[in-house]
Parts: sequence; C-alpha cells; structure tokens
Amino acid sequence: MTRPLRAECALELKTLVRQPGFWVPTVLFPAMLYAFFGAQSAGDWAANAMAAFAVYAVLGVGFFQFGVSVAQDRESPFAKWQQTLPGHAGNQWIARVLASLVFVTVAVALVVALAFVLGRVEVGAAALVRLAFVCLIASFTATFMGIALGSLASARAAVPLANLIFLPLAYLGGLWVPPMALPSAVNAVSQWTPTRAMGELGWAAIAGTRWDPGYLAVLLGWTVISVAVVVVAHARHRRHE
Amino acid sequence: MPQARFNDPVRALGLAKRFGTVRAVSRIDLNVAPGEALGLLGPNGAGKSTTLSMLTGLRAPDAGEILIFGHRAGSPQARALTGATPQLVGFPDQLSPREILGYAAARYRVRARIDKLAACFGLERIVDRRVAGFSGGEMRRLALALAFVGEPRLVFLDEPTTGLDGAAQEGFQEVARDFVAKGGSLVLTSHHWDEIEAVCDSITLVDRGETVLEGRIGDIRKRASVSRLTFSLPPETVPPEWMQAVHDGARWHSECADSDKTLRRMVHEALPFHGLTVAPLDLKDVINRIRREETGP
Repeated sequence: MTRPLRAECALELKTLVRQPGFWVPTVLFPAMLYAFFGAQSAGDWAANAMAAFAVYAVLGVGFFQFGVSVAQDRESPFAKWQQTLPGHAGNQWIARVLASLVFVTVAVALVVALAFVLGRVEVGAAALVRLAFVCLIASFTATFMGIALGSLASARAAVPLANLIFLPLAYLGGLWVPPMALPSAVNAVSQWTPTRAMGELGWAAIAGTRWDPGYLAVLLGWTVISVAVVVVAHARHRRHE
Repeated sequence: MPQARFNDPVRALGLAKRFGTVRAVSRIDLNVAPGEALGLLGPNGAGKSTTLSMLTGLRAPDAGEILIFGHRAGSPQARALTGATPQLVGFPDQLSPREILGYAAARYRVRARIDKLAACFGLERIVDRRVAGFSGGEMRRLALALAFVGEPRLVFLDEPTTGLDGAAQEGFQEVARDFVAKGGSLVLTSHHWDEIEAVCDSITLVDRGETVLEGRIGDIRKRASVSRLTFSLPPETVPPEWMQAVHDGARWHSECADSDKTLRRMVHEALPFHGLTVAPLDLKDVINRIRREETGP
C-alpha cells in the first residue's frame, strides 16, 4: 500500500470512527434491531432472520457512507481543496471502499454473533461463507445506490433522505418482517425492491439452494439505474460549475 | 519586465469563464515569475476567486490557456508543485491539525515537518485538538499552514489573513516573504492594501472579469510618483486655488507630483502652515489615480 493511499484510508477511517452519528445507526442498529425483532424467530426462519439483518447492515453502510460523502464532495471546501493536492483521486475511492468493507464486516459480524448467542442459530461454515459472498454482492449495489443518492441530494439532505429510502426499503424487502408475513399488495411491490433481492440471495445462501436469476437481474437493474442517475447528475453538476 | 518564459510558475492568457449567463471572468492575463509575489486585487465579484479556482485546476476555463511551470493547470505535475489554501475555511470536525497536515504531507510525498509549520503559523497549542470548535482565526492559520505543507514552489492564497489578529498577520507576512526570498512564487488575493505592499512585488488588478492594470509595484509608483502634503492652517485661512487642497475637517490635504516645488511655492507665498507632513500616496490612491487618468477625459 502506497503512502498516499495509507493516508487516505487513515483519514476516512478516523473521520467515520469518530462520528457516532455514522456508526451507531449503521453498525449498531442492525444488531440491535435483530436482537429486538429477529432473534425470536423460530424454526426455519431463525437463520433467515440473521441473513436478513446482515443484508440490512450492508445496505445501511453503503447508503450512509457513500450517500453523505458524495454529497459532501460537491459542497465542502475541504473536499474541493483535496482535489488540488497531488496524487490520484482514485485513492480516495479505494479508501472509501476499504473503509466501507471494514464497517460492513463489523456490522454483519455483530448480527451473526448475536444470532449465535441469542437466536441459537446453527449454520455451517459453508453457509456463512456463502452469506459473506452475498453481502459482498449486496454492498456493490448498495454502494452505487448510495452514490446515486449523494449525487442528487445536498449534504444536508443526504442523511434524512437516506433514512427515508433505506428504512421503507428494508420493510418492503421483507428484511424486518418475513416476506410471507407481508400483506399481499406489499409483497407484490417487494418483488421489485433491491432489498428483497438481497434477502432472497441471503436466504438461498443459508439454505444452500440455487440463486434465483430473477433476483440477480433485479439487483443488476438497480445497479444500472443507480449508475445512470450518477452519470446524469454528474453531467448536470458539470454544466453548473 | 523580463520576458515571460514557457515554464514560469504561472502563465495565464485570455482566461474566460461564465456561469450560465453570468460572465465571471472575461479576459484575465496573469504572469508570475520564479521568486515573484503577485497580488491579485479587485472589488468583490471582480472574478478573483473564479480565477484562482481555474489556476488550481478546480474549474476549467471556457477560453484561454493556463500553464503552471509549463504544465496544464490541475495536471498531476502542476498539483505536485503547487500549494493552496482551501477557498472557504472548513475542515472535518473529527480531525486535528496534526492529522490533516500529516495527510497533506503524505499526498505530496514529503516529510511532514508539522511542529515547524505549527510554530510558523501559531498552531502549537491547538495542533493536537480536534478542529470542531476552532475559531475563525485558528481555522485560517491551519489553512495557511496547509498551503505550505507540501514544500511547493508556487502557492495560491485566497484572502489569507481575513480574521487574523495583528500578530498572526505579521507572522504570516514573515513566512510569505521568507518563502519568496528562497525562490518560491506566490499569488495572493487580499483586500488589505498594506498587506499586498508588505508581501508582493507586483500586482494584477481585475475589475468586472478583466485585467485592468498590471505591473511591478515600484514601476506603478514611478508612473504616478505623487506625494500627499498634509498640513494645518490657522482658522479663517484657506490655501491658494492652485494647490487644489481639500479639508477633512481637521487638516488640509494636497496631492502633487513634485512636492519640493510645491513646498517652495508655499513658502514663497508665505502660507502660514504648520505641522506639515509629506508622504508618498497610498498604493490604493496611486492606482485609483492611474485608472482615473486612463479612463478619464
């Protein structure tokens, strides 16, 4: 790792670690909500609840870290000044991705640990590895959705807006309440949400079943839409600069 | 003025930039030689900040060309040789000056001489405190230190001493003069004329997006070598018409090109003046006078 990249990672991690406003909702809330609502799940759903809240954690980090930092890039004088420094802007993105992986890992590990202790979930190592892989895929989509949000919203609006999208998406996707317990109208909408797709992949990982290509396509669709939003918003910002 | 060279610190020609229908900059030329300190002057909204953001590569000009040491503005080579203050002062609350300075040093790949910088800019007592809750002056001093941390050969400073107390202003001027004496180049915007005179050897005056006057301060003074005579007269006495003196309520002021000649005539005409002082015109007044002569009838 080069010195500028190390410095970039240190800056990103220090800034986020010293900001409880970031890590309480993203790292602690998923574990806490799992303890309240997921750990009581019995039978088949016990392990699935763990996977659902793990996916929920992934989505939060992507939304909040990238949504806010991308919005700040346009507005904060410090971010503007960083662009005048030597070196590649790519380092800053690598640092953000690495930092988000750290936070995602901690957040997911907390959920899994609680599931083992409180929920008495028993899953094999292979299932956990598959779940980790799903988390990685989910964080890819979540990151692009976060960047899209940050491209549209102002820095001030980014956090409330992230909450307004993120929390309903978690419910609609069946991450809090299992899909079969959702009202049928909600369940119809649910099929199209990225959270449902992430959840379904997570549940398939636990069960060791084949991934449904339909849900992979939904995830891909949300990623493509997010990238398109980023490109359009970026072009618009350029025109106004 | 020496011939401008291709690899001079700054060569900017015919810069233009518009935002929507607003023409922020329409024709700005700038040249900075090695070891030269240039003051970029002009009223609010004249285009100073827009010009600086183009020089640092944050904005691309619509027209014109900028070379920084022969490299395109904003190119990796240009950025490696350049230091700048953040244009508005704001830092991440969670970090300390030592961490931010260390970060910048790493980006420049230079050794972080943080304690030396902290001493230069009066940051010793706050260097390990988090930025949250810093006063405007403390933020400004950190911003200045950041412009110099990368051991640049060219530094852009936007309103460097706004909000600084007298001691900090003097400290900054000392650092700036020392930097220039060692061959560094400086571009600074300021509203303080005395600061421009204390630090810079040449100025570029911009107004409504255009360069309206440029040159070395010494040459500009020579172009209008005007002195100001200030004196008192007994009550009921007025100076003769030819002096074109004005009264400020307490004392009389008269501007003249040849103060010796004026003074001899005052004595010859037995004007009962007292408390007379002769001083060169302030740079600001010199420039106003030159512009009046150029645009006047």
